[in-house]
Amino acid sequence: MPATDTRPRAARVVAIRPCEDASGAASDEGGFILRLRPEGDPAWIASLEPGRFFMVRRQDGASPAIPRPFSLYRVAGDCLEFMVQSLGAGTQALAACREDTPLLLTGPAGSGWPEFSVGSEPWVFLAGGIGSAPFLMALERALPPHAAASPRAPGPWLIYGAASAARLYERRAFADTGAPVLCATDDGSHGFHGNVLELLALEQEAGRIPARVRLAACGPQPMLRAVAALAEKEQLPCWLSLETYMGCGVGICNGCAVPTRPGGALGDWPWAKCCVDGPVFDSTAIVV
Amino acid sequence: MSRLVTKLPPLTLSNPIMSASGTFGHGLEMGAIVPPERLGALVSKTVTLEPRPGNPMPRVWETEAGFLNSIGLENRGLEAYMEDVLPTVAAAARAGTAIVTNIGGHTPQEFVQLAQALGERPEIAALEVNLSCPNVQGGKLPFATDPAAARDILAALANVTDKPLWAKLSPNVARIDEMALAVEEGGAAAITACNTLLGMAVDWRTRRPRLALVRGGYSGLGVRPVALRCAYDCARAVSIPVIGCGGISSAEHVLEFIVAGCTAVQVGSASFSDPGLLGRLAAEVEDLLEREDCPDLAELCGSLTEGAPCA
Repeated sequence: MPATDTRPRAARVVAIRPCEDASGAASDEGGFILRLRPEGDPAWIASLEPGRFFMVRRQDGASPAIPRPFSLYRVAGDCLEFMVQSLGAGTQALAACREDTPLLLTGPAGSGWPEFSVGSEPWVFLAGGIGSAPFLMALERALPPHAAASPRAPGPWLIYGAASAARLYERRAFADTGAPVLCATDDGSHGFHGNVLELLALEQEAGRIPARVRLAACGPQPMLRAVAALAEKEQLPCWLSLETYMGCGVGICNGCAVPTRPGGALGDWPWAKCCVDGPVFDSTAIVV
Repeated sequence: MSRLVTKLPPLTLSNPIMSASGTFGHGLEMGAIVPPERLGALVSKTVTLEPRPGNPMPRVWETEAGFLNSIGLENRGLEAYMEDVLPTVAAAARAGTAIVTNIGGHTPQEFVQLAQALGERPEIAALEVNLSCPNVQGGKLPFATDPAAARDILAALANVTDKPLWAKLSPNVARIDEMALAVEEGGAAAITACNTLLGMAVDWRTRRPRLALVRGGYSGLGVRPVALRCAYDCARAVSIPVIGCGGISSAEHVLEFIVAGCTAVQVGSASFSDPGLLGRLAAEVEDLLEREDCPDLAELCGSLTEGAPCA
């Protein structure tokens, strides 16, 4: 069942720009930031939770019929921002938006990240590529208040991996939250040469990140599988934000089924729906 | 909305707009997005006797002009539907939305057991008999394509329940009018025409199918001409009402099906493109009738005039 606040709304594009690369220059790797303004009373925007998503489609006939799901990247006044990687027909159509392009926006959909303030172990956020999108608001939310002015509890850390420096989209925006942002690239063009889990292990061995942490991860499936395996081995609490092909985003098509783990929290049925039961799942509840 | 009142004997619906089975959940899942009272009828996802986990992933794929699915009737079975879903739709039923339960089975006996159990429930206005799911045994269940087998299922169901029976037919047959005549003879109160077309999509670069089970049901805008022809063929063959289904996503489309002989319509994958559509569509049909100075739907129904197209 869709969340009680999920609604379809008309929206208009306010601005679109390429993502910044690791150095702050415009990336030419197909990532972009889409800023849009939903029509109507914006009161609902202020209470948006990090980790939730929206289905987005152009309404001028230039998009495929099925909207595409995107995690909320940032709220800016009465506007929403999405970080999108141009990949297929749906995202390419969005990449070609101009100011004022009409959109259909359905959301906020699904569950968000868990409540960060509950529990004592520090958070480590693991982002892979465009999977960094749901972490900007998460960092802002998970940072203790007045972080800059007082000695603060450790974490959250963002460990941000991508294929290359050009794909470490919006690195500076993440760093501007004040949270430590540790970068890893597959090709070694920025930060640690390797993947996010190797970097996490290195930081833990060096004592810069404690051994007992809570994990939240979003990225490609092989990465999420490895994160879930680490969490299981080390018995770390772990949440994963999944990306699936979605037919509707509101729980009615059964197309985004995620296998559940027998005996887990969702184990009463072989499948969960990524769109309404997720996209954020406790890693012990599902099979990645 | 009196001009939208729709007679599907013995039922009278407030309007001709329904959800198509499998595209709107089982009950009131969409209640916050689409107020159920805006629908003439709410048709459930197919309910089977036993729980069915459904097909492996990937299950859905969008094409240039439509949508392929191979869900495989994932549902928690009859018992869970009766205990968990039906009590929640009672309020919508009281508010005037007809609750229609779509049932599916592998054998006539399974259909009969479903109808016996569901026939006792006052929340249900009608049973839609899914003779035609393309994603179960490749759409090769005998009653999907064999008129005599389809007729026998309807006759067996009419024997065990007083609920009106709507027969949902497959377009994947050579002569849908023969199927329509057979289910009318078996005792169907209405025909839903039609289910999805059997289709597939592949990624030639990886040599892999887009759907895990290769074949799936094709729906959406691209199937509308086929569905319209199926509905038309059925309406010409039988005297019971025909409910059109396939690629409908606007008031214009609704009236195309009505003119071709349908009494009501179902909207399916258009809800995936625009989840709020079903909440607006009846009002949009009424506005269109008003603008075009059409008194009511009954007058339009089957008014298609054959011969040379209008200039």
